[in-house]
Parts: sequence; structure tokens; C-alpha cells
Amino acid sequence: MRSTIRARAGRTLGIVALIAAALAPGTTSVHAADGPLILKVGTDQEFSGLNPWQSVYVLDYEVFTLNYDLLVGYDKDLNYTEGFATSWTTSADGLTTTFKIRPGMKWSDGQPATADDVVYTYGFVLDALAKETTLGSGYLDGYVSSAGVKSVKAIDPETVEITTETPTPLLLAAYVPILPKHIWSKYSLEQIANAKADGFFANDPPVVGTGPYQAVQYDTQGKFMKFERNKNYWGKQGAADQIIITHFENNDTMTQALKNGELDYARGINADAFDSLQGQPNIVPVEGFANGYSYLTFNGYPKAIKDGGSSTRATADPAFRDALAWGVDLQQLVDKVLAGHGTPGTSLLPPFQAKWYVAPDPSVLRHFDLATADEKLTAAGYKKDASGNRLDKEGKPINLRMTWPASESELATAAQFITEWWGQLGIKVNAGVTEDQTLLVDLTPPEYDPPGKADFDTYMWGWVGDVDPTSLLEPFTTDQIGGSSDTFWSNARFDELFKKQGQTIDETERKGMLKEMQEIFYQEVPNIPLYYDSELHAYRTDHFGGWQNQPPDTGTPLFQFGPIGYTLLTDATAAPSPSASEAAPSAGASATAAPGDSGSPTSSGGANTGLLLALGAVVVVAIVGTLAVRRRGAKATEEE
Amino acid sequence: MATRFIARRFAQAALTIFLIVILNFILFRAMPGSPERVLARNPNVSPEAIQQIRERWGLDKPLIPDQLIAYIGATFRGDLGDSFAEQGRPVTEVVGGRIGPTLLLFGLGEILAIVIGLALGAYAGWRRGGSIDLVGNGVSLILYSMPYFLLGMILLLIFSSTLHWFPSFGMTTLGVDHDSPLAYLADLSAHLVLPVATVALGLIGQYSILMRSSIIETMSDEYITTARAKGITDTRILRNHALPNAMLPTVSLIAINLGYVVAGAITVEVVFNWPGLGTLTVDALKSRDYAVLQGIFLVLSISVVFANLGADMIYGRLDPRVRA
Repeated sequence: MRSTIRARAGRTLGIVALIAAALAPGTTSVHAADGPLILKVGTDQEFSGLNPWQSVYVLDYEVFTLNYDLLVGYDKDLNYTEGFATSWTTSADGLTTTFKIRPGMKWSDGQPATADDVVYTYGFVLDALAKETTLGSGYLDGYVSSAGVKSVKAIDPETVEITTETPTPLLLAAYVPILPKHIWSKYSLEQIANAKADGFFANDPPVVGTGPYQAVQYDTQGKFMKFERNKNYWGKQGAADQIIITHFENNDTMTQALKNGELDYARGINADAFDSLQGQPNIVPVEGFANGYSYLTFNGYPKAIKDGGSSTRATADPAFRDALAWGVDLQQLVDKVLAGHGTPGTSLLPPFQAKWYVAPDPSVLRHFDLATADEKLTAAGYKKDASGNRLDKEGKPINLRMTWPASESELATAAQFITEWWGQLGIKVNAGVTEDQTLLVDLTPPEYDPPGKADFDTYMWGWVGDVDPTSLLEPFTTDQIGGSSDTFWSNARFDELFKKQGQTIDETERKGMLKEMQEIFYQEVPNIPLYYDSELHAYRTDHFGGWQNQPPDTGTPLFQFGPIGYTLLTDATAAPSPSASEAAPSAGASATAAPGDSGSPTSSGGANTGLLLALGAVVVVAIVGTLAVRRRGAKATEEE
Repeated sequence: MATRFIARRFAQAALTIFLIVILNFILFRAMPGSPERVLARNPNVSPEAIQQIRERWGLDKPLIPDQLIAYIGATFRGDLGDSFAEQGRPVTEVVGGRIGPTLLLFGLGEILAIVIGLALGAYAGWRRGGSIDLVGNGVSLILYSMPYFLLGMILLLIFSSTLHWFPSFGMTTLGVDHDSPLAYLADLSAHLVLPVATVALGLIGQYSILMRSSIIETMSDEYITTARAKGITDTRILRNHALPNAMLPTVSLIAINLGYVVAGAITVEVVFNWPGLGTLTVDALKSRDYAVLQGIFLVLSISVVFANLGADMIYGRLDPRVRA
């Protein structure tokens, strides 16, 4: 008997349906009923590994504060709280701080955790600083150097004494994980600092630390990390037995996975996807303040640069920059570029830094007003020619180049608006994107090694900060021209205040300095802070409760400072009573979860329906296929 | 002679691969910026440290000939260097680990697409104007014109988010320790359904449209009329005469498609967070991981060369004229 194409097609379809049906049951269980309680977290960022010195992204910081303790931790309000140390006192001259280490504390492998481990960790950084070796990505060692740490010594197993060059508020803020000496001291500085070194210590799992969860698996291919509860953890144990953090390449997929219940938490959701989460059952979207900002920088390089530099001297003139800042509608940018998820920029310190942020006085606050901008430009000596083009002081029409890195695609929208506004002031803007690496090269001034040409007029990008404001202030100091400065702005008073604030313990006094620095910055406009883009996160309430924003009013539950968000979680599935609605979210954010929904996972019902449908399809296809084979087979035989 | 034909094809393929290796080197060195610049935005990195990094990665030596010769030699020894981004893991390991998942995903998708697409196209062409032709052609056109990521997102929304039939991302369920190989296979299969379906649906459109027009063209050939005149049944004419001839253009399309597996993989894999070469490409591009990108491009170009070689071989079998 010969088969025909239709018969074959029938059979093929039958096979496909069969495969599909066979697969359907395996897909149904999203949660094992009696297995460990697993917290599943999705993130838009990528891992840099488990060696904390190699940390680059917020995600890496999250990973090492799960594994390890900082000497001094942060509570939910971002106040200092016990970490590896339980208490600390500073000497009268402010130069010596004595830390008491928790008695009887153990590493996750059972070894005692003592003052020796602190001396090892800080000593290791001091050693690297002395040898001018950059530790890994070079972010964490900076905390020790900017605090001016001179020496670290153990008085006894429970006491550590750290001396600094000057009194400093930065020692307690040092975001450095305390590492187990009995493991890390086996490796050389090079093997720890340099990922390319022979015998590089990647700190492969299982990790040994004092933090609440220890990494037990790092899958570089599947791009996830798995953590297990540290049974020796000294603090409150969170409800999750395991934590799995996964990197997502596609934001929409991450959001769908959260909606499906395949994730309990998602970080870095984009605005559209975030809005689609509003009102979803069991999901609480959280809009946190960003600890950073996006800006538009002017090339303030004070001298001419051969074959480079700004196309006009005007960008180095504070009066010109001030006038142009009147010509940017920041609220419009927030609405159009961030879909409303942010706040207009006013300072180089974001409002997230509630202790230090100072809003400009209403008397000096700029608001969008093209007429004022026009007047200010004319008053500052930038006149228009007959055809309406704005001229610089050399009499040349001002054509500003404007660019932004390709990785920050939303800035293209901002550029369109600004081009339009400044165009109305008679300033032509040539806007175009630049690939990130090329832009980094274009930005480097002659002071950099190798020397660059600071070949730009204006550009947009962003800065992100720590709990302490120092790292956000530093790029605007004169010392950083040739380093992290991208404005090449220089102000003696700002420099002086920067130095003083880093040595001032008294917060009121320090805030006074930071206020003046912010005022100088606002007045001189080295850059225009455009907006503070919100941190868009979301979590589910049907598996875990006890979600706590850190800080409560402006933060998010996870990816903030330290592991507190994980340790406060409770098991929302444990409540056996029929009223499943008890597991309401504790955070102040408005919970969108409907009480009735929380106890009934929709997946099982859907899966059964799916199975039935698939089975039905198989039966139908099989019948049709068989009939077709029979009929056509018979017909074919007849015909031949 | 057939052997000479094969030998010539192999020699051509080898030369192509050698040229690819050189092009690969030049292309990536010609790109702007260099990886150590990323560190420049970090205020704590000293110029000495940046110099150290340059030396460590050989970026301080002259491009030609030093870096080129070293590169060619190493490539043929199978040493593709170390990944910048993944803390110095060898590229062969990084790229090698991703080939399996991509092959699995696209292998299955291709097979499904070939079987269904060709069958659909052949039948539609044979019964031109019939209901299957009308519906099939319409559907094929829609599928053909739809980008993978859109198709993937639609399937994800329907079958994962709404119906909850299939998981939305990854190769296996997170945090599940499978107690038997069968349980693992079931979990893997569940995760395969949507991405494979996306690949297959995307390709079915192309294959069936091409097969259909190819069959229609063949049908008007005189030998078909002759066969009909001889009284051979429709079925046999299609099987023995029309199909083999209509297959020729389709074979080259499929071969070309095999080579573009990675290109297509990027979007499908990104949608489903599938840990294959596609997501690796995106990651490597983002972190400017030269070494890994080179490795991927090498694998990609070699697979194109081999796919074309394969097509030549099959062509030779299907159409003896080619071998001459």
C-alpha cells in the first residue's frame, strides 16, 4: 500500500500533536508542593561572578551581601546597624574606631569568624592600595582609600581597631564584605585581583561566608545563581530555603514570567511592562527612587584643544549653560521619556539621598521658559544674526553637537525634545547616537592617559551612587579632570568643600557643606540633571509575605543595601486557614492583590484544560489521519 | 568524477574558512573603542592599572603582524583565547557550552519546518487553488513576514501567560532537582515547545511558499505531461517526477537557513531566555567581549560553509548534472 501526501501530512500532524500532548503534563507544576521554599528573582543585569572584588553592577553587590556581611550593615531605614561587628566607638580625636565582633559567630563551614578575618580583609585592601594594584573592577577598594584607612589591628578575637588619617564619616559606610581568612589567605593578591592571573580565585560555589544565604551554584550558561540558607547565620532567618536569581535578556519575558508565577520578584522592569502589572492579581509593583540621575553635560574644557574640544567656547561659559537650562522642560522629559516614572532633576544628589539632597531655593529654581532663556542668552552676549541664528562671542553661529551612548536608547527621545526647544532659541543641535566605547574615547581630555581630545559639545548619560554621597560628588572635582570628570568643570570652593565634607563626622555640619556644594553646582550648571529615573520592581504576594521596602518610603524590597529584604520574608503559603487573605503585603505600597485570589494558583486549572485540549486534538487528528490513510490508500491501490 | 567534485568542494571550503579567520581578526580590531576603556569611567582605576590590563590582554603589541600571527596560530590549535567578561574562562568552553542548546532548539525547529513546510507546500502546489492551498498560502505568507521575536512573544502570551500550558523561559524549571533522567527530559521538552514552535512556524512559511511555487513550475514541464500521457497516476507523478525536481531550489534555501541558525537564534533565544549562542552573542556584544564574539563568528561562518558544502553534496545526488 502506498501512502499519499495527505496521508503523510495527516500522520505527521498526528505525531506533532502526540509530542505536544506528551509534553503538556510535564509543564503544569510551577511549584513543588513539598520541596524547599524557593524565592525566584529575575533581573535585567548580568552577573560578574562570585569574587566580590570583581563586582560591577548592583546585582553583584546584591550577591556579595547575601554571601557576606559588611563590617557595619544597614537597617530598613538605611541607618547603620550590626553587621560583622555588633558595635563600634570612635576615639575623641576621631581617628581611631574600635569595633566589637560578635562573640561565637561562625562561618557557614563552621569555622569561627573573628577579628582576624576583618584584619585580613582590610589588610588585603591596604596591601593592594600600597602596591597600586586595582582590585578587580576597582570599585570596592575605593571605599577604603576614600575613608583614609591607615591601619587595622586585632586587639583580641572580638575587637578590631581601625585608624584613619583624618576623622571621617566614610569608614562606617565602607561597602566591603568581610571575607574568611582561612579560605582567601591561600591566594595571592594577583590571584584574587586579576581575573586573568594563573590560578585566579573565582570563589566558585559553595561559597563560605557569614551572610544569610550562601551561593551553592553559579550556572554561567543558564545565567542563574542558586543560594541556600546559611544555617550558621547570626541574624533573623528569612522564610526562603533557597534563592535563585536569574538574568533576563528580554524585559517582556521577565515580566511574563512574574505574571505566570515563575518568578517571585523582578528588578529593572521597563516602563511599559511595569504599567501592565498594575492591577494584576497577587502582584505588587514598586516604584522606588533611583540613587542616581541622568544628565546633559556641557564640554567645559577651559582651553582650545587641537582637532578636538567643543565646537564653541560658549559651552565653557556658566551664563550660557544657565540660559540653556531654562530651555529644557524637565517635566516633559519625565513624562515622555520615562512615561512618568521619574522626577525632574535639580541636583547632582538624587532625592533618594534624603539626608543630603537639597532642593534649590524657589527664588533660584529654573523652570521651562524659552523667553527667559532667550533674554539670558542675549544678556550674556550671545546675540542673534539677521536670519535668527544665535552667535557665540567669536561671532560664529552656534551649532551644538549632542550625543548619548547607544546603550541608553531612551535618551534619543530626550534629544529630540531638546533639539526642538533649543532650535527655538536659534541654536541648531546636531543630535546623534554614539556607540558606548567610542563615546568613552571621545570624552577623554588631554589629561587622560592616553591623552584624548574631549571631542564633544554636549552629551547625555547617567551616574549611580552609594549610600554615602561622596561617589556622586567626586566626578566634579578638579582632581578628577583626566579621571572620572566628564564636564572638566573646576571650582575651587567646590573642591575645598568636597575635601572637608569627607572629614566631617557631624551630619548637620556636613549637610551644610553639601548644601553649598549643590548650590554652586546648580548655579554653574556643569551639567543639567535631567531626571531621576525610578527603580521599577515588582513582587508576588502568593508565595512570600513580609516584603519590606528599604527605605520604606522611597526604596524597593530587594537590590538595595544589604540582605535585610531577604531575611524579613515570610512564607505566604504556610497559612493553612481557609482565609488565605492574611498574607497581605506588609509594605506601605498599595497592594493590588485581591484577597480571594491569593490561595488559588491559576496554573493548575489551566494546565488541566491544556492537557484535555491536547488529548482531544490528538484523538481528532488520529481519527482523521487514519481515515485519510485508509481512504487514500484504498483509492491509490485502485488507481494503479 | 564525483570524487574530484567532492575534493574540489572541500578545498574551496577550507580556503573560505582560512579567509574567514583572517577577516574575523581584522573586523574585530577595526571596531571602535577597546575593552579597557570601560574601566575609564571608574574613578578608582589608575592609569597604571589600565596599562597592566592592556599588557595582560596583549592589546599593547602591534596589530600586524604580531597579533595576527598569534591569532591564526592559536585559532588552528583550537585556542580561541579567554573571555574578557566571564572572568577568563576559555572561549572554546564558553562558546562550546552554548552550541548544544542552540542545535537542539534549531535542529528540532528545522526538522519540523522541513517536514511540515515541504509537505504543505507540495500539496498546495499540487492542488493549486484548492482550499488547503488558499488557506495554507495565506498562513504561510503571514508567518513568513512575521519577525521571530513577534511570533515568539505571541506564542508566549497565549500559551504561557494566558493558558499556562508551557513555561515562559529557560531550558528547565528553576530550582528543580530532577530525580530521574525521564523527569529531566519531560521538563526540558516542556521548555522546548514554545521556542521550537516559534522557529518551526517562522520557517514553515518560507519553505512551503518556495516548495509550492517550485512544484507549480515543475508541473508545467513537458515531462509531466508526457508522464500523464503514459497513464501514470497523479500520486506517482508527484512522488517520482515532480518532487525530486522541485526539491532543488528548496535544498539550497534550507542549507542557507542552517547557516543562519545563529542569526535567527538571537531573537528567539532572547525572547525565551534560552541559554544558546544567540543570547551569548547579545551578552558578548554588550560587554564587548571580543574573544567570545570572534569565537561565535568563527562557529557561525564555519557552519555556513559546511551547510553550503552539504547542499552541494545533496544537490549532486538530486541532480547529476551538477557533478559534471
